Amino acid sequence: MLSVGVYRTLLRLYPEFHRERFAEEMVGVFEERRAEVASKSRFARGLLLAREATGVVGGAFHEHWRTLVGDSIGLWFPTRRFTMHTEFRFPKTTAVLMTIILAGVMVAIKKGEAISVSVPPSSTPIGPIPPTHSVLVGGIVLMFAFVYLAGMIGWLILFAMRRSGIHRLSETSGGAN
Amino acid sequence: MSPTAMFESLPLTEPVLLILLSLAEQPRHGYSILKDVEEMSDGRVVLSTGTLYGALRRLLDEEWIERIEEEDTSRGRQAYRLTSRGRKNLQLEVGRMKHLTRLASLRIAAKEA
Repeated sequence: MLSVGVYRTLLRLYPEFHRERFAEEMVGVFEERRAEVASKSRFARGLLLAREATGVVGGAFHEHWRTLVGDSIGLWFPTRRFTMHTEFRFPKTTAVLMTIILAGVMVAIKKGEAISVSVPPSSTPIGPIPPTHSVLVGGIVLMFAFVYLAGMIGWLILFAMRRSGIHRLSETSGGAN
Repeated sequence: MSPTAMFESLPLTEPVLLILLSLAEQPRHGYSILKDVEEMSDGRVVLSTGTLYGALRRLLDEEWIERIEEEDTSRGRQAYRLTSRGRKNLQLEVGRMKHLTRLASLRIAAKEA
């Protein structure tokens, strides 16, 4: 059975401001719950233990998470759902994760550079760059030029349609009905 | 809280809705809320203490509920009650659910006819 002492120890996982605000109350409620199941089956007591322990650990993790990234995304007990709105704003957590990933990539690049410097240069000459490389680069440039041209043509068609008022035809027929 | 922020908070999760409904009737302390939530949901929603106080903290921060100063604070008991903002949001949520229920009933009836 989860003792009050162990429960108090688990509460230390919470941030300090949360402990100051709620710890005594939480202990009080836990004691009442504990007294409630004291006469019940071992299974019921085990269930309470599991629920309370996971609740405290999860709750502490959630509070730390909130301290780090704010309330923009609830983890497991949100009071607001994360839904798309017209005024949808980019979540702060994503920005944080992207920054972490970027930092990881930067560290990996730096590590790679350090390894390349530490490894002695090979004595065998690399030789001239094969001509296929320049062909590949030329192909990529050509592909970009083609895509750019296609985009320009598409935009010009749309622009011409807008100027001629064709896009208003559907509105006119809708109004006639 | 701006009207936009208020609507962003809806729909509520079932545990939060039940906590608010529990406090809508009368002010309650933590254990009483837990028992009432369990009773209202026929034992389907059983909150842990950690979960309850996570929700209460959030509701306090958003000023949907407030603490009542009690003379007897033995065993760290504190009572909570709904604020006018909390009651208004609860009414909005109930209204939204009523609308959905009405719509669902109409659609199901139309399909059966």
